[in-house]
Amino acid sequence: MFKKTPVAAGLAAFASIIIAGGCAVADAGKTGNVDYTAMTSQELAEYLIFEANGFNVDQEVQEGGTAKQRLVQDEMHKACSVIGGGKPDQATLDAVRTAAAASITYPEGGIQLGDWQKGRELAWSGFGYRIGHNPDDHGNRPVGGNCYNCHQLATDRTGGTVGPSLTGYGKTRGTSEAILKYAYDMIYNPHAYFPCTNMPRFGSSGFLTQDAIADIMAYMFDPESPVNE
Amino acid sequence: MFKKALLALPVALAVGVSANADSWKAPEDVLQGLIDSIDSVYLTQSEMNIMMMPDNPALWTADDGRELFHTPRGPNNVSLEACDFGKGPGVLEGAYVELPRYFEDTGRVMDLENRLVHCMVTLQGFAPDDPAVRQRHGSNSEHMQLQTYIAMQSSGMAWNPPMEHPLEVAMRDAGEVMFYRRSGIADFNCNTCHGEAGKQIRASVLPHKGTAEEWSKAISWPAFRVGHDHVRSSQHRIRGCYWQMRLPLINPNSDASIALMSYWTDAARGQPAILPDMKR
Repeated sequence: MFKKTPVAAGLAAFASIIIAGGCAVADAGKTGNVDYTAMTSQELAEYLIFEANGFNVDQEVQEGGTAKQRLVQDEMHKACSVIGGGKPDQATLDAVRTAAAASITYPEGGIQLGDWQKGRELAWSGFGYRIGHNPDDHGNRPVGGNCYNCHQLATDRTGGTVGPSLTGYGKTRGTSEAILKYAYDMIYNPHAYFPCTNMPRFGSSGFLTQDAIADIMAYMFDPESPVNE
Repeated sequence: MFKKALLALPVALAVGVSANADSWKAPEDVLQGLIDSIDSVYLTQSEMNIMMMPDNPALWTADDGRELFHTPRGPNNVSLEACDFGKGPGVLEGAYVELPRYFEDTGRVMDLENRLVHCMVTLQGFAPDDPAVRQRHGSNSEHMQLQTYIAMQSSGMAWNPPMEHPLEVAMRDAGEVMFYRRSGIADFNCNTCHGEAGKQIRASVLPHKGTAEEWSKAISWPAFRVGHDHVRSSQHRIRGCYWQMRLPLINPNSDASIALMSYWTDAARGQPAILPDMKR
């Protein structure tokens, strides 16, 4: 699912955490009894998640494989999981940025705008990849972009404010090759510009297809789109 | 003690109001006090819910729970009056705001739901797969009725989960790691939505973990969720958040869920609980 991009040395240290967590299974004297206080909080969290029946990890997931992989952290996850919610140091941020840029692939024939009307519904839809007690059946509905969860777009629908407003996006910025590439990259893997951003990597993760990205971009850029009214 | 609790009818309770954070206070007054203490769009976002608080349908759920709590039930035909929620057998006043806590008899840090399961199984003799124990969600479930009744006895009191036993500290600190731990196809952690004040997901204003007054309301479960037309629990909220984050189903009996709850309760320390609350 995630690109196995080699990441700089700054990130390597994080890899040891999971291994340490797995080994921290108490003193042999106590059967089925683990001393939580002998672990670091990182080790204990990993233990509770993976070893102590914390989650239903065996459920099959939409992208193939099991729910366990949704809990296993990749390099970006580890680097950007900072206690207190701050950012990691500059070297780590640079490594995240470099890895993100390297993960981006472009459609054959270059970046194209699709159908803004389809993109409008995709931008609104919060459907897709939810699992657990009520898993999304991708056979019934297309996977949505969840854009309105965090962004305001066309103002006839209420968007969130976790991300910046994108109202009038194409109207303000035009449709040059550079701005289309920037928007595409931001959807595909926004860490290439904003390392450790909250925004999902909709392309790198496989969350959205190329067609869906093209339709959502049309919603942002097409002069006919209500985003640009 | 129980006779006092028996009087905890919604109407009767609304009378005895005190400014002390250690004494019982009607949930609508607790909410108003928080609203008056801080400028918060989260706290004031639903005028309708604020207005409805005195008629919160969860008050009826609590009433059903009162009946269940004091009635001899289960294969052993005993009530829950001998259950120790941390402040001694049968003491409910102020017990909920001091959960999760370490229990000597189980050697575990437990939240309200897991402690209730423990007592239903060990005291009342219910089998762990009995519907009374297994069914956790919905206003008609015995769990929600009991939890709402028990929690309500702490309304207006300050969140104060004990951090005396090393396991209580270890669980809270592991919960903190979980709160900030990103993973999955959408890269989310709890902080994605609860790391900044005044942010919205679509039309809903999100509670900020770092603003204790907001967080106190956020963790005030059980609450009647208007959109669900049911009273919901802390465990239900956690399950819903993981679902939205595209992460796996959390096990409500797990230490993972309790660790997260230890952390989130600690984050509201000192602020008064709104029990039961109403939410969108």
